[in-house]
Amino acid sequence: MDSTVSYGLLAEDEKHALFIKRIEAGEKIEADDWMPEEYRKTLIKLISMHGISEIMGALPEKEWVPKAPSLKRKLGIMAKVQDEMGHGQLLLRVSEDLMKPYGKNRESIMQDLFSGDLKFHNVFHMEAPTWADAGLIGWLVDGAAIITQTNMLDASYGPYARALKRICAEEVFHAQHGESIIMALAEGTPKQRVMLQESLNRWWEALLMFFGPGDAGTTGTSKQDITIKYKIRTKTNEELRQDFFTKYIPRVLSLGLILPDSTMHFDKEAGKWIYKQPDWGKFKDIIKNKGPKSEERLRLRRISYETNEWVREALGSASAGERR
Amino acid sequence: MAKGFYEEYEVFSRRSDTAPMLYQFSLLAPNEELALIMAQENFMRREPASDIWVVKRSNIRKMTLEEKETLKRLDNKDYRNTKGYGYLKKKWRQYEQGMLDEKEIMSWGGNQS
Repeated sequence: MDSTVSYGLLAEDEKHALFIKRIEAGEKIEADDWMPEEYRKTLIKLISMHGISEIMGALPEKEWVPKAPSLKRKLGIMAKVQDEMGHGQLLLRVSEDLMKPYGKNRESIMQDLFSGDLKFHNVFHMEAPTWADAGLIGWLVDGAAIITQTNMLDASYGPYARALKRICAEEVFHAQHGESIIMALAEGTPKQRVMLQESLNRWWEALLMFFGPGDAGTTGTSKQDITIKYKIRTKTNEELRQDFFTKYIPRVLSLGLILPDSTMHFDKEAGKWIYKQPDWGKFKDIIKNKGPKSEERLRLRRISYETNEWVREALGSASAGERR
Repeated sequence: MAKGFYEEYEVFSRRSDTAPMLYQFSLLAPNEELALIMAQENFMRREPASDIWVVKRSNIRKMTLEEKETLKRLDNKDYRNTKGYGYLKKKWRQYEQGMLDEKEIMSWGGNQS
């Protein structure tokens, strides 16, 4: 076997070359494999943010569990909230294994969230004041998430690719749960239709921001080139946003909704959607926890973390005792 | 603080009584009982499952990257699988007999799932 390698004997640059060769060949990298530090750090940032966003994302929706309009809707949205927490745990495990060499763990993730070092997704800093928002989150926010996540199903990092496979399958249910709420409102009373349109207007800018800035020039930094270089994903932020438009704009219009951006149209020659850019300055503020609901949701998370501390202490010391 | 709360467990499950155990994912739990409850509640709500195992990660011996190299097959092992005996189909046809291939043999058990 000429390809047999003894990793212990290789120099750093040889390991790097071998690593690149592996991902170029479509091999998956596992947690204990050698990887360049840039790759590890990029994955930690991406997956921690994704994981904690699943957990913070359950908060705007959970507000609607007690207020859902029927028992069926209540069961549906409860199941979805529970799924999101499951996704969060699955993803945090993936990133914890990556951050182990730095001595970091679940505890550090929570502390980083509270201190603002670990950011969560811009959409989850926003308000969800009506039942239409609960539907719209499932339909379009989860729709946008499906676009970005399916783009990473073949990610070079095996544990992330496997987690995404499971997550995307459940997101399909979430999207349909949202569509069902939206459909009922779209076919409902004039008041319900107004509520739906207002919700779309409210979420429009956040949805455009969902995919991140088109390039680093907009907000100062962008990790998209690095994630593409390492085959974590294949498409740029703008390509994903365009995919989202192509899939969802015709559906939005078919329900008789009005696009909140009157300048928006598909340029056939250029083969892309022309639209008004969101305020990227506002985007930067939102992800710095200066969004309308940032502080309130962080506070909720912090309270639950602190209130449950005694449970962690009690069970933790009991199991530490067992090992002795 | 709360160090013993965050133990790593690996979760395995099988979809039906005759399906093989499949590795699923890992989770953090303070003991086996909670690991099992979390595995079931967090991840097994939708897909069918007939059994779940949780194993403390420290009890699993994984292969190193180097050891995984030994899993790569050489391209001269035809005699180990049916591919190397493919010519028999033609031979049996000469004797006006059908080939008892894997598909045929595995069907002899009758209508099993």
